[in-house]
Amino acid sequence: MRMNAFWRSVVIMAFLAFMIIPLIATFMFSISTRWDRSLLPEGLTLEWWKTVTSRGAFLLTIKNSFYISLATAFALGVLVTPTVYWAYIKLPRGKVIFEVMSAFSFGIPGVILALALIRFYSGVPLPLINTTNILLLACMELSFPFMYRPVANALDSIDVRTLTEASQSLGGNWLQTLTRIILPNIMPGVMSGFLLVFSTVFAEFTLTNLLIGARFKTFPIYLVEFTRFDGRQASALAVISFVMAWAVSLLILWVTRKRAIPTGGGPVAGH
Amino acid sequence: MKRKAKSANKKLAAWLMFLPVVIFSIGFQVIPIVSLIRSSLSGKGGLTLVNYQRAFTPFILDAFKNSLQLSLTTATLGVIFGTLVALAIISSPKKIVQDALISLADVTTNFGGAPLAFAFIVTLGSTGIITLILKAIGIFLYPTFRIYSITGLAIAYLYFQIPLMIMLILPSLLGLKKEWWEAAINLGATSHKFWWHVALPILTPSLLSSFFVLFANAFGAYATAWTLTGPDVNIVTVQIASLIRGEVQLEIELADALAVSSLMIVVLSVVGYLWLARRARRSQA
Repeated sequence: MRMNAFWRSVVIMAFLAFMIIPLIATFMFSISTRWDRSLLPEGLTLEWWKTVTSRGAFLLTIKNSFYISLATAFALGVLVTPTVYWAYIKLPRGKVIFEVMSAFSFGIPGVILALALIRFYSGVPLPLINTTNILLLACMELSFPFMYRPVANALDSIDVRTLTEASQSLGGNWLQTLTRIILPNIMPGVMSGFLLVFSTVFAEFTLTNLLIGARFKTFPIYLVEFTRFDGRQASALAVISFVMAWAVSLLILWVTRKRAIPTGGGPVAGH
Repeated sequence: MKRKAKSANKKLAAWLMFLPVVIFSIGFQVIPIVSLIRSSLSGKGGLTLVNYQRAFTPFILDAFKNSLQLSLTTATLGVIFGTLVALAIISSPKKIVQDALISLADVTTNFGGAPLAFAFIVTLGSTGIITLILKAIGIFLYPTFRIYSITGLAIAYLYFQIPLMIMLILPSLLGLKKEWWEAAINLGATSHKFWWHVALPILTPSLLSSFFVLFANAFGAYATAWTLTGPDVNIVTVQIASLIRGEVQLEIELADALAVSSLMIVVLSVVGYLWLARRARRSQA
């Protein structure tokens, strides 16, 4: 049932080369003085890193990205965790709502969501269009399954009913049960949901670009601007986003402390 | 009788807890999309398909053709290569190698958009690193190949399609039972025959459902294409985005018609995925 050793190495080596060369190339490019006519970089320098990180806009866009990513992750955590728990103990049939919402979230491409929101909410007198509010809500829609899945998986892995009944027989109401009994038990799931949402929104470009454009510059917007006029500085920014994504993934692995075998059918981010 | 009413009330109260989530879904998924569909179908004389007729110019038809081609190609290649790599991963005797490769796939599934596109410009652009290395040994990629083209875009898409496929297919590959292999071999089957007559039929629903996920993933992608090729490559998401930003003078109802048409394509593939994924779970249960 196994692949023989020769073909296994060929496939794995080719895969590693394809996945890693672009990352190494981007990093090397960001520390090279000039590398467009010779086989190897003409010299090494930290100048591009210094220039790009010393701009005021750099810190501002990082701050904006942290703000929108943290806000989305918190809002989704508060919206999703209690209601999913409620579905598990009171109304298992209610889970279908979350499944349908996840399918919607995956099925609606970013550009279409942006268009639909602009078209509908520009005619509604609410403080939404052209504000960070609409971006926050759109990001919640986009990353909904990233919060729901890990929380649901964590609830599947514990005996929710028994724990809840035990807590109630000792006089705890459902909110106490949730915060004192269930939440500590599903914390790895909630945390990995939080981190997945965080890293998805941190890398989000489409919705930000189309919903509020230049009014609220996030890190990916800043990066795309640089790709148009200074490749070396853009490559330093690209390295920063790769490192961010790796760091969050390592945090998730550390939080869940499980073997990295996936459970399958998980959601994906917009590209 | 009274008791029954009381429990019905209780049930209703229980459903009320879902209200915040349901309001969120209605407000930010259902209503905007329904109103998009409605406005795409409305014209001066009420219900009409005129927006669709007018939106589908030869240029836009070309965009749909390119998007479909890009999604079909990268989904097909993603399914093939992803499955091969996943097989290589589970055949690896060292657990640490398996874990490292799975983590790599897990992270890179969500690499995409601007940084990825830029990494490919640095690697395979006209003065990219691989381009320079190949030039040094006498292979000239340019001008026959361009990373800023639809072929280049397909290569960049494979960077997230292959890892996604690995993550989607691994559980099914791990679900192939050793007993089936042993039974087949004991009955005189070759390894080739086992894969063709036993494993492939079992895996088919998973492979097809993953194909639909990859297809939808590519069809809706925008950030990677926009960063890599700008307005040069004519695909649907880029066209819709430029209509939203008002770069093209056109009635907005035409953008609605384009968005609804592409939404239908994506929804069909998501439905295909959900249906086949359910069958896959049943056939491996």
